Amino acid sequence: MAMSVDLPPTRPASAARRPGFLSRLFAEYGQEIVVLAAIVVLFIVVTMVNPRFISANNLTTIFAGNAYIAVAAIGMSMVIVTGNIDVSVGALIGVLATISGTLAVAGYPVWVAWFFPVLVGMAIMGVQGVLVAYARIPSIVVTLGAMSILRGGLISVTGGTWISGLPSEFLLAQQRWFGVPSPIVMMVVLTVLAFLWMRYSAFGRSLYAVGGNPEAALATGIPIERRIVAVFVIHGAFAGLATILFATQLQVIQSTVPPNLELTVITASVIGGVSILGGSGTVIGSTLATILFAAIGSALIFVNVSAYWLRAVIGLLILATVLADMMRRRGKA
Amino acid sequence: MNLKSLIRHETFLALLLVAVLIVLSFQSDRFFTVSNLLNQGRLMTETGLIAIAMTFVIATGGIDLSVGSILGLVAILTGVFWHNVGMPLGLAAVAAIAVGTFAGFVNGLIITRFRVPPLIATLATLALYRGLAEGISQARSVRGYPDWFYVLGQGEVLGVPTQLWILVAAAIIASVILAYTRWGRTVYAIGSNEVASRFSGLSVEKTKLALYTASGFAAAVAAVIFVSRVSTTRSDMGTGIELDAITAVVLGGTSIFGGRGTILGTVIGLCLIQALKNGLSLAGVKGDGTIMLIGAVLILAILASNLFERSGTR
Amino acid sequence: MHKIVLSALLALSFSTSLSHAQSAWTGGDDLPTNPLACDATPATPVSKPYDGGEPTNAPDRKGKTLKVVDVPKLVGIGYFNATSKGIADAAKEMGTMDAKTDGPSKANIDDQITLIDNYITSGVDGILFAANDPVAIAPVLKKALAAGINVVGYDANSTPDARQWFVNQAEFNGIAKASIDSMAKEIGEDGAFAIVTSTFTTPNQARWISEMQAYQAKCHPNMKWLETVEAQEDNILSFNQANTLINKYGDDLKGIFGMTSVATPAAAEAVTQAGKCGKVAVVGLATPNAMKPYVNKDCVKSVVLWNPVDLGYAAAYVLRATADGDLKPGSTSVKAGKLGELSVINGSEILLGAPTVFTKDNINDFDF
Repeated sequence: MAMSVDLPPTRPASAARRPGFLSRLFAEYGQEIVVLAAIVVLFIVVTMVNPRFISANNLTTIFAGNAYIAVAAIGMSMVIVTGNIDVSVGALIGVLATISGTLAVAGYPVWVAWFFPVLVGMAIMGVQGVLVAYARIPSIVVTLGAMSILRGGLISVTGGTWISGLPSEFLLAQQRWFGVPSPIVMMVVLTVLAFLWMRYSAFGRSLYAVGGNPEAALATGIPIERRIVAVFVIHGAFAGLATILFATQLQVIQSTVPPNLELTVITASVIGGVSILGGSGTVIGSTLATILFAAIGSALIFVNVSAYWLRAVIGLLILATVLADMMRRRGKA
Repeated sequence: MNLKSLIRHETFLALLLVAVLIVLSFQSDRFFTVSNLLNQGRLMTETGLIAIAMTFVIATGGIDLSVGSILGLVAILTGVFWHNVGMPLGLAAVAAIAVGTFAGFVNGLIITRFRVPPLIATLATLALYRGLAEGISQARSVRGYPDWFYVLGQGEVLGVPTQLWILVAAAIIASVILAYTRWGRTVYAIGSNEVASRFSGLSVEKTKLALYTASGFAAAVAAVIFVSRVSTTRSDMGTGIELDAITAVVLGGTSIFGGRGTILGTVIGLCLIQALKNGLSLAGVKGDGTIMLIGAVLILAILASNLFERSGTR
Repeated sequence: MHKIVLSALLALSFSTSLSHAQSAWTGGDDLPTNPLACDATPATPVSKPYDGGEPTNAPDRKGKTLKVVDVPKLVGIGYFNATSKGIADAAKEMGTMDAKTDGPSKANIDDQITLIDNYITSGVDGILFAANDPVAIAPVLKKALAAGINVVGYDANSTPDARQWFVNQAEFNGIAKASIDSMAKEIGEDGAFAIVTSTFTTPNQARWISEMQAYQAKCHPNMKWLETVEAQEDNILSFNQANTLINKYGDDLKGIFGMTSVATPAAAEAVTQAGKCGKVAVVGLATPNAMKPYVNKDCVKSVVLWNPVDLGYAAAYVLRATADGDLKPGSTSVKAGKLGELSVINGSEILLGAPTVFTKDNINDFDF
């Protein structure tokens, strides 16, 4: 499988001179389109079975309730694009949520309670980035170790007590901005911004180079180590932003590591088209994949699939999506 | 494969293990006793078998995240085949192991035939196999096995826990295969440079297929041992064991990028982690502290090993 | 090719699942049920001979300080923080017990078994436990008994011969009756309800669901069970699942049962945010702190069925009495500090007592 650096699409001059816009679009964003199509098909089919599936409340549940996963997946996608991985993000969010809630209850201004954890996330991830880039420890090793340290540390410090008595101004995820639940706004805005930045900024494009063809990247003068540290720091920031959504949804914060969160985030990124080999995929794909999984989870309940088989069906769908993507790539390559 | 640098990592790790053992035995006089050490051997067998197979997989530059789910699936199938389908227990266990091995084979097919990267493929089958375990078992446990079955997981042979014999045998066989057979060298070649291996005429696809099948087989055997040890089946068995196995393998010096790794290293890594878990607990450190320390040891050990080697590979 | 592989897998798995009988309520187990009478007739106490295990050659621990470890299902849950607090309170009151709580960070059997095994080796005098699986924990507990350690369980039992005594917060059928009666009172005799549980493999929850089904069929036959969903011990997931139920059934859903101390507050939150306080009843087990916001706003009428702090407290005292030899096979009651005399039921279980119901009037008096 040839690895190549994906160049961002240049302005189309005349449609007659190159293959049609649509087929270029499909070639460039094939996986994202497949996921989007799957979402649309799913909604249509399930709504026929139970029209309440597309009620405003249920759409809010699906989109807003899982927005934090999509935001975390943005950072994860960036890490994966550079050819690395992070399994500590779930534990990190657990830790940051606890810090956030503790600050809020202790009476600090909500701005502090929201954004101090973002800084902490950036710092913790930055340390991991340094270990990966400069100490040359593989990212799976560093993040595996970090996950254990964060998980154990969280229990040590908090003993698992729940944080309740959160001030109502703190509960950002329950607010509505322009009539739309704030998590949805944040998810969409952050996804679009991140996508544009990765596609059109030199820094963003260099990330694809670092992951796709490190030798070429080095040869063109891209400082690989600094990029890797930077991408981990940015990933930490997104984890912190995801924490804001995560911690402010309910009136209590569970100071434990959310189970399986890192697997969910990684799965969303790779199903969304980010290649674990580095070098391709977009954050739009990971956000769409998060929505797809959330929708599937809800849909299976709506169509009365036996609760015992729920996880098997989801697993089957993940596998089918992965196989379909590989068939599509092989057809292209 | 750089023999000199390899020996250095395993030596370093072995020294670390000895140091840890010494420190821990001072913290508690019940740590370094024969009965405790044998007991720890019993407890680490399931992770150990999976880690041994995982060494091969990671040495080719791949990974298998679905082993925990295969373990859960085989565990409940043992119960289901025996209790619901009515097979005699021995046959039921063998049939369940066969299914688990087949699950590994399917992993291999997805990776070799469909060219899905191993991380993604086994991430998908992790979800699928766990779901199958829950669906087939309908969340029911099967218990009440005949006494002879418990000898495997809870009994002893010649004073040594039964499953420990299996682990030792597996480790010896595996290290012979990896270090001395052509097959083992193929594994390293694939890990170092898969494209070159293919062009050299090595049967890359068949080897990889065999490795993932073996990984499934190891998880399946571990499952039967586990069921025998705890005398029941549950669909959530084995959750998280893949990370424990990967930690042991990586700690043991196997490079995640492939091309390096020995069974000896994995075994030492396994013993080190088990010693820490047990010794720290005996020294009065609670579970959370132990988890943190193991995470720190993992990072520091690889850091130190990298500094010793001064090799510049990513 | 992949179609063949996939369908072979599916065929294999589906064929084996056909051999299971269909249980009416998802999430229940397959053990026999014993529903109570529909009116207030108390259950006839069944007197059984002692069926607990015995330690081998336990040293005489009367009056000596006991080194005790408490191994709950997992740490990091408000419920087990409460039981741990109860144990600590009792230990301090007694003055002769050194208790520490150490549990797995996830509710799985392997970590719990390994923990207990380590403590056996380290030479504790007594073990308190809440089992993740009654059968899986039995071999290691029997090993503890064989080492002369006193073993007492609480909250989630093991097989009787693996421990000496089990402090039972309430009988399964008693909890089922109280829950269903509460729900019937709030939503009426033909209301429809759904259940949010942790996982289908958690033994206590599975038992409650089975007993609830049996009792509802017997005494409130026109109530309708809609479905059961899993939510692990994750409160965001519980929240999303509860929301999905509310969205799916609309006005048809009149009540939600929360089967764990994580699910109930999350379900209450979902009902609150959906603006359905008063229209959808939430009944279930939870710690007071997690439920204060909802009870104080009248969204949830009554909560929790027993006091976990008392449960831990009683368990510690039962362990002390067992180690001292004051509580032995054949005893009919045990003195548990400020809780008074607790009676022995079912051979080797100690009943905590009447359930504690937290309502708007008393919930602010508690802090756990």
